[in-house]
Order: sequence, then C-alpha cells, then structure tokens
Amino acid sequence: MESAFRRGAREGLRDFLPLSVGLVPWAMVTGIAMRSIGLSPLEAMGMNVLVYAGTAQLGTLPLIASGAPLWLIFATAMVLNLRFVIFSAALAPVFHGHPLMRRLASSYLLVDGLFAVGADKLIKADDPHWRWGYYIAPSVYCWLVWQCCTLVGVLGASVMPRDWSLEFMTTIALTVMVIPMLRERPMWLAALVGGLGAVLLRDLPLRMGLIVGIALGIGAGFLAERALSGRAPR
Amino acid sequence: MSEGIWLWLTLLAIGSTTVLTRGSFILLGEKGRLPPALQRALRYAPAAALSALVVPDLLIDGGEVSPFNPKLAAGLVVIAVALRWRNPWLPFLLGMGLLLLMRKGLGW
Repeated sequence: MESAFRRGAREGLRDFLPLSVGLVPWAMVTGIAMRSIGLSPLEAMGMNVLVYAGTAQLGTLPLIASGAPLWLIFATAMVLNLRFVIFSAALAPVFHGHPLMRRLASSYLLVDGLFAVGADKLIKADDPHWRWGYYIAPSVYCWLVWQCCTLVGVLGASVMPRDWSLEFMTTIALTVMVIPMLRERPMWLAALVGGLGAVLLRDLPLRMGLIVGIALGIGAGFLAERALSGRAPR
Repeated sequence: MSEGIWLWLTLLAIGSTTVLTRGSFILLGEKGRLPPALQRALRYAPAAALSALVVPDLLIDGGEVSPFNPKLAAGLVVIAVALRWRNPWLPFLLGMGLLLLMRKGLGW
C-alpha cells in the first residue's frame, strides 16, 4: 500500500514536469546576466541560492551594477516579489498545522509555476500527507533544475567575450516577462505609467524616480480597473 | 558596484524579500487576511515594476532620452518576436544578435 505522501509526490511531479522544461532557458539567461555585471561564479550562485526568484534577481542586477543604495535595491526586490503575498495568502490554509521549519522551507520554495499548476488541487485536497507530498516534491525538483541550469549559464558566461553587451540579456529577459501580463487594459496602463514615470522622474534625488514610478503605475492600474468595472453592465 | 561583505549583505537583503513575501501568510497561519482592495492593487505591482526597470533602459542612451538608439531598436524586435512566437530562446538570440550587429557591425 503506497503512502498518501508518495501518491501526492508522484502526482505533483507529473503535473509540474512539462512546465519545468520552460525553466531551462530562464535559468541559463539568469546565470549569464548575473556574471555580466561582474559577479564572480561564487557570488552569482550565492545570489541564486539566497534569492531564488528569477524576476527579483534580474530586476535588481542593473541596480547592483550601478551602485544604487541598498534601500532602493531592497524596495525594488520587494515590489518585484509582492505577487507572492497573494500566492501565500491563497496557500496558507494548505500548510495549516505544519511545523514552523516546514512552513519556512515551503515559503522559500514557493514559485510562480508551481502555484499556477498546483494551487487548485492543493486547496481542494483533504489529506495533509498527500498535500505535503504534492507540494514539496515538485518544489525541490524545481529548485534543483533552477540551480543546475543557472550554474550552466554562470560557467558558460566565462567563455563568452567580455565586450558582447551581455548585460542586455537582462533587459531582454525583463521585457519578455512583462509582455504576457499586458492582456488586460488596466495592466497596460500600469506598465505604461510605471515605465514613463521612471523615465520622466529619473532625476529625482536618491533615485526615488524608480519607486515613485512603480507606485504611480500600480495606482493607475488599480484606478483604471475600478473605472472600467464601474462602466461595465452588471 | 559594492564588493565583498557589502555585496553579500545586498544579496542577503534581496533574498530576505523572497521569504518575507512568500512566507507572509504561510508563516502567519490563518491569523491574517488580505484586504480584497489591496489584493487587487498588488496584481499591478509586477507589470509596473518590470516596465519601470525596462523602459528607461531602452529609451535612455548616454544619459539622454533618445528615440533612435540600438537598444530600443533591438528591444522592439524582442517585443515583436515574443508576441509572435512562443519559443523562449528566440527573443534572446535575435535581440542580442541585432544589438551586436548594430554596435559592432555598423558601429552605432
């Protein structure tokens, strides 16, 4: 008789497997991008383990490279990770009653792909052992895939010529990330206001322009959503 | 760029946001609830932040806003490619190829 944990683990891995293939290019690009700003292989892999969040890693690289103040780097990483607060709120009941260390590990390992694939089943399942297996097995697998493929990028960056503008990989990666978000009009406005705000306010002291631009973008998206839903027929 | 211990502290600070956000409600247990209005507003954070990072990088060249620069041209191709095809490698190959061609080949 197979335990509920193992059944959960098997099903979780099976559900997540197709998605994990898509991680490979991202991890390699992140590895190259971290090296392109001058991080050593050890520092790059250190960042990869400590942060384990591709968007926050790529988004803070230009700030680290330009010597931005620590608070700005921290605030930007925070904003880039804010979506996880929503995921965390949705998944909290799943980990109800689990020991603190387990919840801490689960928090560190929570990534977009896993939430997208598994949140529904996790929230609906009754057996806590099954849920734990279904969550932790693909999470650990995802962590391993990410670390290994990033390492390939980190080591591969060493053989690439220094004058190839490799830092542009970061810009490409962030651009490609934002595109699928722009399906709704309020999202468009949030991105437009955030982007143009950051350009127009770039001379604010302490590089406040970035944070103010982001705040304006969030506000614009939120207000647009309210205005649009107010007009829609009920 | 900061070096040594300061760089590691910076990386640790960035890493702390990972656990703080992902752990927020999982660690609190069911004591906390997210107000619906805040939850909706948070949805716009990634798009606003990514765009605030990318747009200045594409539009500003040598400290000035410039509508004609190789990064913006390559960026527009990246957007077109990402909209048209799902292949994850293509935007990087074409974007980097085009930027290198313009900078090295044409000396732009």
